[in-house]
Amino acid sequence: MCAALVNGASNGDGVVLPICKAKESGAAVTSETYEYEQAQAKQRKQSESEEKQDAGGLRHVDSFKPLIPSVSMTSQLAQAVCVRCRGGFTPVEQMVNSNGEIYHENCFVCAQCFQKFPEGLFYEFEGVKYCEHDFHMLFAPCCGKCEEFIVGRVIKAMNNSWHPECFTCQICSAALADVGFVKNAGRSLCRPCHNREKALGLGKYVCNKCHTIIEEEPLRFKGDPYHPFHFNCDNCGKELTSDARELRGELFCLPCHDKQGIPICGACRRPIEERVVSAMGKHWHVEHFVCAQCEKPFLGQKHYERNGHAYCEMHYNQLFGDVCYHCNEVIDGDVVSALNKSWCVRHFQCTCCNTKLTLKNKFVEYDMKPVCRKCYEKFPLELKKRLKKAAESERRQ
Amino acid sequence: MMSKLKRIVDESREHKTKEIDLSDRGIQNINEVPGLMMLEHLTHLTMSHNKLAAVPPSIGELVNLQLLNLFNNIIEELPTSLSGMQKLKILNLGMNRLSHLPRGFGSFPSLEMLDLSYNNLSEQSLPANFFFVNTIRTLYLSDNDFETFPSDISKLKELQVLSFRDNDLISLPKEIGELRKLKELHIQGNRLTVLPPELGNIELTGTKSVFKADRNPWVHPIQEQFALGKTHVFDYIRSDTYKYLYGRHVNADPTPPPKSTDKAKKICKKPLHSKK
Ligand SMILES: [Zn+2]
Ligand SMILES: [Zn+2]
Ligand SMILES: [Zn+2]
Ligand SMILES: [Zn+2]
Ligand SMILES: [Zn+2]
Ligand SMILES: [Zn+2]
Ligand SMILES: [Zn+2]
Ligand SMILES: [Zn+2]
Repeated sequence: MCAALVNGASNGDGVVLPICKAKESGAAVTSETYEYEQAQAKQRKQSESEEKQDAGGLRHVDSFKPLIPSVSMTSQLAQAVCVRCRGGFTPVEQMVNSNGEIYHENCFVCAQCFQKFPEGLFYEFEGVKYCEHDFHMLFAPCCGKCEEFIVGRVIKAMNNSWHPECFTCQICSAALADVGFVKNAGRSLCRPCHNREKALGLGKYVCNKCHTIIEEEPLRFKGDPYHPFHFNCDNCGKELTSDARELRGELFCLPCHDKQGIPICGACRRPIEERVVSAMGKHWHVEHFVCAQCEKPFLGQKHYERNGHAYCEMHYNQLFGDVCYHCNEVIDGDVVSALNKSWCVRHFQCTCCNTKLTLKNKFVEYDMKPVCRKCYEKFPLELKKRLKKAAESERRQ
Repeated sequence: MMSKLKRIVDESREHKTKEIDLSDRGIQNINEVPGLMMLEHLTHLTMSHNKLAAVPPSIGELVNLQLLNLFNNIIEELPTSLSGMQKLKILNLGMNRLSHLPRGFGSFPSLEMLDLSYNNLSEQSLPANFFFVNTIRTLYLSDNDFETFPSDISKLKELQVLSFRDNDLISLPKEIGELRKLKELHIQGNRLTVLPPELGNIELTGTKSVFKADRNPWVHPIQEQFALGKTHVFDYIRSDTYKYLYGRHVNADPTPPPKSTDKAKKICKKPLHSKK
């Protein structure tokens, strides 16, 4: 049930996750550090190693140089018994003493491979001694992702062990070892990803700032949903509610939005205290309302608008003089405007038979191309039916 | 009939008229119009609503042709000489029986408008160099059988109109967002569920733009925005929220919605003899 072990279960942000709600909200990550970092172990003296014992049931011990028995010890020697084979010792036999346990030299070997311990280093588990290699093989945890042994910090989570760098969010791959994770549909996810997944399931939005679910009405800002309380009115500083309004990229509370006191310049975004030019739905400092091409202020002269930009007459014509759909040239003279396009008068024609059309001729729209009645009559019945249905469905939308 | 066609050709030769209209005259073979391929001065040739089954390679001899309209014939094969026509700007091959395009079709040096609507084309029909036609402004592929479209579309830098009405599209290439001049996009009646967020890079909601996208099985959040209006759709696909959802949707690799049977009755799908 609970995905992970352990104690405090508190992560860096100080968020404490209740461990046993694992199914929905998951559990926090904890790590266990096994006491067998080899580098340290090899340097340990025997006196230290005798005291060294840890709660995890793993013990690291160093062997020491074999003893050369002396003659005066012969009687004691007669009683000595090898821990492993239970046999006695002859006076010439070498004996190994490991933490008070005595072995024949040939009996002081790895329980797995029966070889002497390289450099005398062994690992003990439940009273049995192993060489370093076999100890890893038998007991060191394997990473659930890269399947390599884990030496050092082990992350225990999702019923598996992981290198800290291998335990990552299954959506965005963010490292989870130090920030905690949330179990979501059998996956380990970072909190922002979990919140998004959960919101999705509930048909709700996730705040683009704090990445938690928005329970009430979201405030939309530049297309993304937010908790309204993350924002303050750009004018009065009041905390916003979902009825706040976006205006020229800023957010205002409803009253401030409605009575925008001092106009703000659409170019420099500073308040306008002197003369105000109002154009294109914005206010401008006189000297800041300029041609988008040559950047000269209009200073009261006529301007031309296109795609939200203002141009002087010369540049407007240069850039946007209407271009004919048929010949792709700037139209000189009268312009036929139809089907969101422009034509030279002489180039406005049926796309199927190239017969010249005028706006007085009835024509049919076919993929926003003009088609004369005669050509349309020749269309296959099945196409005419489909086009009629399509036009109806478009009107409904 | 023959004599009438001959008279048109003779007149054009004598008066050097540059435009000839031979539409709706029951022509089955261009050889029925003697001397037509010798009118080197021709700039416009319209032969729509005939019964042409093939275009002869000699078409390439009309070196001054700027407009060739073969709309509503029964053409299945095109000659490779077609794409060598140096001055051809407008080519209408709509409503024929094309299921493939000839090798080298992309090598037109000045083609601006290509209409291939109402044929039997799909992504497999395009020759390798199709996207070399980088002068093209309008590409009409409505009423065909495209399920996907190559990402090479981004090479058509001049493209202003792209029409895929009533195909079988299950996705749009994200490179469509690189078509900075695109003003018209028709994708009605396909099997699209999502739009690539990159489409938000282009402005298709202005008064001189066209964006038609109804009759697709959109995912719910997109459908919702369509109900509010096209500008909402574009605002939405530009948002981080949508980019996230889109990535998730694409990763999940959902099975595409089934094909509609609406186009099953297309006349260019039927065997020829059943066409009256
Ligand atoms: Zn061993
Ligand atoms: Zn690992
Ligand atoms: Zn994540
Ligand atoms: Zn928030
Ligand atoms: Zn200003
Ligand atoms: Zn200017
Ligand atoms: Zn024109
Ligand atoms: Zn016509």
